Amino acid sequence: MYDEPYRWVEAVGNRRQYLDEQFRQGSPLVAVSYVDGIVLLTTSHGTPKLYEIYDRIGLGGMGHPADLEKLRFSILDMAHTEGFQRSPGDVTGSRLIKYGMAPAIKQAFEEIYKAPYITKLLLAELGNLPNQDNFYTVDYDGTFEEHHEVAVLGATPKSQDTMRAYLKEHVTPTMATLQSVLEVAVRAWALGALSQIQDNENSDSSSSENKETQASNDSISEEQILEHLQNGLKDKTLECAVLERQAPGSSKYRTIVQQDIHSLLPFLHPTTN
Amino acid sequence: MGFQGDFFQLLKDQGYQFDIPTPRFGEHGQGALPPITQGTTVLALKYRDGVLVAGDRRATAGNMIMYDRTDKVLEIDRYCVMAIAGVPATAFEMARVLEHSFKYFRRSQLQDLSFEGKLRALSKLMKENAPAALAGTGAVVPVFAGYDHQHGCGKIYFHDILGAEFEAVDHAVSGSGSSIIRGIFHYLNRWSGQPIAGLDEEEASIIVLRLLASAAEFDSATGGANIESNLYPIIKRITEKGVETIPAEQLKTLFTTKVAQYV
Repeated sequence: MYDEPYRWVEAVGNRRQYLDEQFRQGSPLVAVSYVDGIVLLTTSHGTPKLYEIYDRIGLGGMGHPADLEKLRFSILDMAHTEGFQRSPGDVTGSRLIKYGMAPAIKQAFEEIYKAPYITKLLLAELGNLPNQDNFYTVDYDGTFEEHHEVAVLGATPKSQDTMRAYLKEHVTPTMATLQSVLEVAVRAWALGALSQIQDNENSDSSSSENKETQASNDSISEEQILEHLQNGLKDKTLECAVLERQAPGSSKYRTIVQQDIHSLLPFLHPTTN
Repeated sequence: MGFQGDFFQLLKDQGYQFDIPTPRFGEHGQGALPPITQGTTVLALKYRDGVLVAGDRRATAGNMIMYDRTDKVLEIDRYCVMAIAGVPATAFEMARVLEHSFKYFRRSQLQDLSFEGKLRALSKLMKENAPAALAGTGAVVPVFAGYDHQHGCGKIYFHDILGAEFEAVDHAVSGSGSSIIRGIFHYLNRWSGQPIAGLDEEEASIIVLRLLASAAEFDSATGGANIESNLYPIIKRITEKGVETIPAEQLKTLFTTKVAQYV
């Protein structure tokens, strides 16, 4: 059936549609580099989506939890055997992504008789200085990109662009406290989530050709963001992790516990006091 | 499922060999065992706030002093250390395997490995190493100490060369200087009127420095403090907060005032 070339191209196209559909309800992911380290932020329904990979490397993902687990284990195996057989300094985000994750994900994506990985990955690598921090994102088709300062994952290109633009505008190199970074990151996350909702509505209503109303919906106000953060998070867990530059010992990754997230972001719960 | 977080198994599956087949020297006219680098003396004791683990700095091969700056108190993770006596080549490799194993378990299983689990991991390595230990080329006799969060206390274990583990009530020693230290431990706990378990950190550190000085006095394979080179034993404390190294400056003060010229 797919043995003719154009059939194959068609099948891959179908696969894109199918995968895009899978991510529609996914939670965006935000990563920001600052003076003391890197902040990763997303939301989840019970199963965590942020993970420690190696001494200075953290991973976040969108998509199917089982696929994410499978890829997480293979990246953990790769990092730890390399770190043991050579040295921890040789375990770099670039190698893990370019020679490990991306080819595997691409192969699964293009083998149209088998199931693809329903995942998008973001790998954060802590440097000694903020300008040495690296981010790598891998899309479901294996396309990878390298980023600095900020990086995001979102269901749609527009959601990603909106988050990235917001972060670029609000993140300053002098940001010194975890709290100030979290405040920006969580707003960027909400913006991404709202943008995805808009995209979903637009694609649902695109058949009815209401292009004018779409354009007016596109700008999202600060009030909408706050509203979404206060009400849209009720059935979800806000998840945060940091890679701390000055942490003692070799492992720099730390999950921020719920209690600390709440005290760092009090505006999320205006009714509690 | 990621080998259930077993890093050692992962290494083996990738062709890593921990137990190198060891020739038995002295048999079939192959000649005597060449001098093998060894390290001594290490000790661990419980004091009021936790556990102190210490070791001298000397490594020897036969009559030769190989190195006087060895750190034999190896931090495996934030909450446990392995103090080593025996062949450093094997011991350092064991420490590396353990360090990566504990990290790999935590990162893959999303929970910390229990203290018993850590102890078991060491016993497994010791068992793998038994042939080399018996052949005389890879004997390691570690003291393993750490903070057990499930039970809320510091713990000390010591091993024989085949990997049997024994829990120490208040102290453990290993290495060629250990017999000297054991006698003093016994004396202090029994008749000094001040059992070591009740001492504070400074008092316990002074005891540790004096014990290692005594071992160095009577055991040629144990190195003493070297004031000219500013070299002192390594002492690490383990409390609820984790493993911390007692700074050399502090040891220098204690050594000069309470050990060197103290009568």
